[in-house]
Amino acid sequence: MIRILLQRLLELIPTALVIVAASFALVRLAPGSPFSSEKEIPPEVRQKLEAKYGFDKPLPEQFIRYLGNLLRGDLGLSTKYPQRTVNEIIANGFPVTLSLAAIALLWSLLVGITAGIIGAIRQNTVWDHVAMTAALVGISVPSFVLGPLLVLTVSLRLHLLPPAGWGDWQHVVLPGLTLGTIYAASIARLTRGGMLEVVRSDFIRTARAKGLSESLIVWRHMLRGGLLPVVSYLGPAVASMLTGSVVVEKIFNVPGIGPYFVDAAFNRDYFLVMGIVLLYAFFLLLMNLIVDVVYGFLDPRVDVS
Amino acid sequence: MLLSRLKVILQKAMFGLCFALPCITASLLLGGCQQQQSPYFGTIEPRHGPEELWINNSSEPEWLDPGRCSDSTGGEIIWNTFEGLVQAHPATLQPLPAIATHWDISDDGRTYTFHLRPSFWSDGHALTADDFVFALRRLVDPQTGSKYASNGFIFQEGLAISRGDAAVETLGVRAIDTHTLEITLVDPLPYFLNFLSFYSFMPLPEHLFQDLQNRGIDPDLWTRPEYVVCNGAFRMTDWRFRQHMTFEKNEYYWDAVSVKLDRIRVAMVESATTAMNMYVAGEFDWPGGSTSLPAEFMDHLEKYQDFHSHPYLGVYFYWINTEKPPLDNPLVRRALSLAIDRDSLVQHVTRGGQRGSADLVPDGLAGYEGLHIPVYNPVKARQLLAKAGYATGQELPLVTLSFNTSEGHKQVAEAIQAMWQQELGITVELANQEWKVFLANAEQTNFQICRMGWIGDYADPYTFLELLTSDCGNNHSNWSSTTYDTLLEQANQQHDAEERLRMLREAEAFALHEQPLIPLYVYTRTQLIKPYVRGIWGNHQDRHPWKYMWIDESFDPHDLMVGAGKNVDEDEQVPQ
Repeated sequence: MIRILLQRLLELIPTALVIVAASFALVRLAPGSPFSSEKEIPPEVRQKLEAKYGFDKPLPEQFIRYLGNLLRGDLGLSTKYPQRTVNEIIANGFPVTLSLAAIALLWSLLVGITAGIIGAIRQNTVWDHVAMTAALVGISVPSFVLGPLLVLTVSLRLHLLPPAGWGDWQHVVLPGLTLGTIYAASIARLTRGGMLEVVRSDFIRTARAKGLSESLIVWRHMLRGGLLPVVSYLGPAVASMLTGSVVVEKIFNVPGIGPYFVDAAFNRDYFLVMGIVLLYAFFLLLMNLIVDVVYGFLDPRVDVS
Repeated sequence: MLLSRLKVILQKAMFGLCFALPCITASLLLGGCQQQQSPYFGTIEPRHGPEELWINNSSEPEWLDPGRCSDSTGGEIIWNTFEGLVQAHPATLQPLPAIATHWDISDDGRTYTFHLRPSFWSDGHALTADDFVFALRRLVDPQTGSKYASNGFIFQEGLAISRGDAAVETLGVRAIDTHTLEITLVDPLPYFLNFLSFYSFMPLPEHLFQDLQNRGIDPDLWTRPEYVVCNGAFRMTDWRFRQHMTFEKNEYYWDAVSVKLDRIRVAMVESATTAMNMYVAGEFDWPGGSTSLPAEFMDHLEKYQDFHSHPYLGVYFYWINTEKPPLDNPLVRRALSLAIDRDSLVQHVTRGGQRGSADLVPDGLAGYEGLHIPVYNPVKARQLLAKAGYATGQELPLVTLSFNTSEGHKQVAEAIQAMWQQELGITVELANQEWKVFLANAEQTNFQICRMGWIGDYADPYTFLELLTSDCGNNHSNWSSTTYDTLLEQANQQHDAEERLRMLREAEAFALHEQPLIPLYVYTRTQLIKPYVRGIWGNHQDRHPWKYMWIDESFDPHDLMVGAGKNVDEDEQVPQ
């Protein structure tokens, strides 16, 4: 097991190298400069700025230097926020994005699995239809609609929670719900589907024949089978909660790293773009690895090796 | 049978409810808002004590270092944490004494001698004339890498130092004694004192730079709250990256008795809609000067008493590449300008209370009366086009109009595309480009027509007219004229203010007859200010010193009669 894990981890290295090279090439090929603005900058000043960041060197040299710094864990300086290093910006923003994703994940699991179970054990009843219709609505309503609707109702009319900001627990609720709902809806549908698949299988019949109580059958046997598709979905879902929080973070002014992903590219903040791409890539790869491992635990038929 | 029918009906009802419930809730909530006839937009009860103010400053500033700052969000902070030789009057923007109590001007108008009051930095150090010398030398020093180094080119030798051709010690700024500063200018600029309140010209605490260096700390980090030393009305005590900053009254400020607030919380909310929501919920007392209001809400917001609007020193215009045919012909360029119905543009498209204008220089700058060029004359436009050799617009080769990707710019471009098609029969292609690509193309004049905006740095026509000079790096039109350059140069040598303005007008008229750019409208600033906040004046540079702001405790939030709140701009005692 550990050997396989190590092997998978080693495989990540060439993937990461390709990602670094490709993203470096892409950001540097984009036209425009980090220092261009509406107002002309004196050419001497521009030279000085480019020298400060090493942009005056030939590209291959810059790439090698970047790789060297990367190995030492140094992601470089931001051009847009010249007083901050990329490490510092990520260290500031990532815990915020992470806690937002954690709330969203909790919410989506809680609501999604509950609704999925109800749908499966009360298949084709009113309960099932209500749960699945709600899930359909949840999947169809994008966060840029749900977010403002929640702000309008919960914050501006009912005055229950602040409309935006960060710091208190109250600030986490609305963005967490907005981000999590779409995943809750998918999880509900997957849980229901997964449970219905095993509901008529032999091991459930055996469990019933053993005289196990219905609730025990649902919890111990059906849910375990039902959760398999959810687990394989969770890897990419967590990764996309982390990387896809741009819109939610903008609407609720959450100081996470989501908006940088877009803004840094617009600002040609080379090192910041690269830093965030690498971080996201790392998490995507890590999540996929975790899912593969967890899958092995949940389904005895899957052999991780 | 009956039972199953009933079940189907029930199911359908549940389905219906699923969709209807949110709609009902929404309509109830929205309906509820119409019942309240509040003349104000959102809550009007302060969420904090009278010694505090909550505002917004739209985004994380690039620099809080006066010598390096080049964006308005940084400027807003610098203006309130630093104080220069003069300060701008909060309503008229005329220069008022600040660190300098008075000054003498030489007969040729090029040498200013400033007499400084004894004052202190926020760490108790005495502020001297040397702190100004240090700051201004640093501004033009190429080692600093200041994007606004060009502001220091007005000082003697400023340009040469920036190019590395002269030593920084040769700069025309020197300390005669600890409290006397002499500044020598290249030209006798009539707007110098006005310009001098700009954030680039603030003094810097030289002792702090040395101290940080001695402690092995990068002096570039000096504006962080743990190190920063300032001399303005407020000092920063907390800075949460991209969240908010906290400022407290600086007890060492020379005019601390006039400062009314103890604490100011400045958030950094970029989205205009989010900022507006936070204002409604009372999280902001004032969403700040640099935050615009969402254009789509303008018609709705205008009805409220806490909505304010004032002209802003900015012009929206289209650059024309005067070298590419068919736009190399000034007649075609003038025809294009005359075919634009600017009044309709500002009323139906931009909708923020802007004023349609075909002038480059807005009215009211240091007594300058605008040219008031006719904004719309389609008949004359067609005549000019015919005179240029195009009997109909169809004969004109395809023209491309480029703008940076943004809903607002797109709407303006589409409106103008339609006007040119309708009035002149010209087919115009629109091209939107991502910001940095757009800037790169503008710099290389790689366009036919492109949109641009220009915000004046100081209240003098020259801040706009300079755009069209031959050696101005911001002139993207390929148009240059020695006549125009000479006119401006002569005007800036002119001592008589009236005569100078006349010469500037002549220059503007000359340039606009050639039409290297097409001005469209003058900006306005729209803001929401809670009725209990006082001491904010609308001015055309959007400069709002926090030192004059205060919370009016006598404002009664329960008195909702229309007119109960006082307009912030009216009957306020303007400081002398």
